[in-house]
Amino acid sequence: MPQNEYIEKSIKQHGRRLDHDERKRKREARQVHKDSQFAQKIHGLKAKIHNKKRHSEKIQMKKTIKMHEEKNANQKTGDAVPEGAVPAYLLDREGQQRAKILSNMIKQKRKEKAGKWDVPLPKVRGIAEDETFRVIKTGKRKSKSWKRMVTKATFIGEGFTRKPPKYERFIRPMALRYKKANVTHPELKATFQLPIISVKKNPQSPMYTQLGVLTKGTIIEVNVSELGLVTTGGKVVWGKYAQITNNPENDGCINAVLLV
Amino acid sequence: MSQTLYNFKRIHPVPTSSDFVDIVLSRTQRKTPTVVHPGYSIGRIRQFYMRKVKYTQETFEEKLGLIISDFPQLDSVHPFYADLMNVLYDKDHYKLALGQINTAKNLITNVGKDYVRLLKFGDSLYRCKQLKKAAMGRMATIMKRQKDSLGYLEQVRMHLSRLPSIDTNTRTLLICGYPNVGKSSFMNKVTRADVEVQPYAFTTKSLFVGHMDYKYLRWQVLDTPGILDHELEERNTIEMQSITALAHLRAAVLFFIDLSEQCGYSIETQLSLFNSIKPLFGNRPTLLIMSKSDAKQLEDLPEETQNMIKEIENSGAAKLSRLSSYLDTGVMETRNMACELLLQYRVDTKLKGSKIKENLNKINLSMPKKRDSVQRPSFIPEAVIGKQRYDMNDPNRRILERDIEAMSGGAGEIDEDEERIIKLAKSIRTKKQILAQQSRLKNNVNRPKVTNKIRATKLTAQNFADKLANKDNLDTINNTASNLLSTSAKRKRSLSVANKGLGDELARMGTNSGAQFEQRAVSVSRSRVDAGLKNSSMLDTVMKKHAKVQRKSNLLAKRGESDRQILTKMPKHLFSGKRGNGSNDYR
Repeated sequence: MPQNEYIEKSIKQHGRRLDHDERKRKREARQVHKDSQFAQKIHGLKAKIHNKKRHSEKIQMKKTIKMHEEKNANQKTGDAVPEGAVPAYLLDREGQQRAKILSNMIKQKRKEKAGKWDVPLPKVRGIAEDETFRVIKTGKRKSKSWKRMVTKATFIGEGFTRKPPKYERFIRPMALRYKKANVTHPELKATFQLPIISVKKNPQSPMYTQLGVLTKGTIIEVNVSELGLVTTGGKVVWGKYAQITNNPENDGCINAVLLV
Repeated sequence: MSQTLYNFKRIHPVPTSSDFVDIVLSRTQRKTPTVVHPGYSIGRIRQFYMRKVKYTQETFEEKLGLIISDFPQLDSVHPFYADLMNVLYDKDHYKLALGQINTAKNLITNVGKDYVRLLKFGDSLYRCKQLKKAAMGRMATIMKRQKDSLGYLEQVRMHLSRLPSIDTNTRTLLICGYPNVGKSSFMNKVTRADVEVQPYAFTTKSLFVGHMDYKYLRWQVLDTPGILDHELEERNTIEMQSITALAHLRAAVLFFIDLSEQCGYSIETQLSLFNSIKPLFGNRPTLLIMSKSDAKQLEDLPEETQNMIKEIENSGAAKLSRLSSYLDTGVMETRNMACELLLQYRVDTKLKGSKIKENLNKINLSMPKKRDSVQRPSFIPEAVIGKQRYDMNDPNRRILERDIEAMSGGAGEIDEDEERIIKLAKSIRTKKQILAQQSRLKNNVNRPKVTNKIRATKLTAQNFADKLANKDNLDTINNTASNLLSTSAKRKRSLSVANKGLGDELARMGTNSGAQFEQRAVSVSRSRVDAGLKNSSMLDTVMKKHAKVQRKSNLLAKRGESDRQILTKMPKHLFSGKRGNGSNDYR
């Protein structure tokens, strides 16, 4: 026992007070009521935090209780063949398992039918031009307004050089340029941060594609050499398409799903 | 008292990662404005959310920075503490945890910066809010990943704060040896540390510190856990604490051996341990202490073992000493011996060091030579030499007044030779007066003097008014005034308000009302509080209503019409028309 643990030392030497256990039991029994009073009294942000905590605790508690119950309950195995003859009205029961498999198969078939170029996000909200472009007034009297600033996230290739400011029609601010995307592989269920190679198609308009605007639903090409994917021929794949699944201008990052 | 250089008790508690996030976010909520509306100008909305993000980032930085600066850096603490912490908490783990905290701090800084930059392009309240949410979420995620490091650091902090404060520079006695040889018993004898003593090995599992006094100096005694005789790599944490103390502290080493072998280890193994850790002692003063001398003495041992012990003494590796904590013999002797050795050692090392030269220069012992052979003894007057030292019990002593008093029969009996006593009392009194005069002069050198009489009376307006109201005084004043007025040119003037009242009063008292001094009337402003009100009860109700109306706006600390205000800071008409030499071509 180290030198400064005088409380433990005292307990070791003299023991606890005689009613220690009873006091402890009582305190624990009282705790429930105290918690409830506290929960009833608080309000505002503290209440919000507290309620959320209690909520998750309760869920966890219920889950554990359920798990214990499952452990104790007798479970029927699907494969078990009932002995003897089975009345007609019970014949369906065994068939249930099979029926589920069938429906899965149908789903699979439908999926294949739907075509190769099905993308995870088939529809997107239209974005008006004035939402994307902010008009910048120029000229001595600020009377000209042919300049635009792109207020969405953009991708700009490495070799890009800005035009001289006098002639630059579209300004794409440095703060909104992105080079990397968080790409999820749907089968591996894993996410990787991969460099963007190019913007393949922006569903909003071809001009957006040209400018490299990244909005929800845009198809981008990402560098997957990190993942070590191999084609059937045995070559290493390094460029693959992915679709953006979030609003980059709202989240400050780009999340995408790999198209496989 | 010697000061401790390191105070690990001041490290602030490290919250868990979820608590950390709660603390910071609720602080942001409390310390930043909470109301924003979509109707505000976009700049204001952006600024509102930027402030939130920035504040959260700064709070995180501050809290993480506090952790980093609080925990001691292993490179900068004394090597003893560095090694001890390495043994107890694992240096790599410790550094890694602190490094991760530092990385998290930098990451949070970057996230904050990025999102503030993004917020500058937010074009609606919704977007700004989403960005703020994303920023805080990312900061919280970074903190969540630090769960293990924070937990580890909290454990370290709790243990570190409970370490005994060992001063690495002071005079120290270091007690070491095999387990169960009587180290802690000696410690308890010498200091008041109250270390646990039990009849089994490894009762002491950590370092213990006790303090004692010797030669009016404060000494530190360090009790260490027992060490077994094996390789350094095989030693466990408990033993390693002793080894670090042995390796780094400049102390007198007291190596304990148990000759009776009650500890369960033979004398040979104990001596071999001494030989194997001897390199750690360096040339520090070392004592080989034979404890439990009540059970067995050196002389009782067989010849060979005796020789082994004596060989160690003869080789100069250690001095021998014996003690019995049970019988309390040899304990103090051993302690004194160790202290003397260490003091000598410390003086020697100081003399060898380079710093001593600076101090030696300052000390000068002058030994003057004899100028000539003339004797110059010190002068003592004859009378003084002849004078005898006063002694109460000597019958031939000087007679004092109290002796006379005692001879004439105790206190108060002074009727014998009264005149002499009175003379004596007089002379004492005059002496006393002179002394009092002197001290008074000394005290009042440059102070203006005010007589006591004036100081006692209070000069207030009330006093003055009372004096004026006094009838006799008034009469005299009025008479003089009327005399003056009668001699000067007369002009009828309206009476002043003060005189009017005064005149009435004087008339009532029956004095000459005509003899008042006359002045020009002064217009007196009337209180408008009761204007238009019939009586005082009406005034009361009005005042009550007034207070009731004001109550709410006072509670809300609202601006009222009596508050100072600047409506327009720079009124256009006052500041326009004077323009600098700008770029505009029109004026």
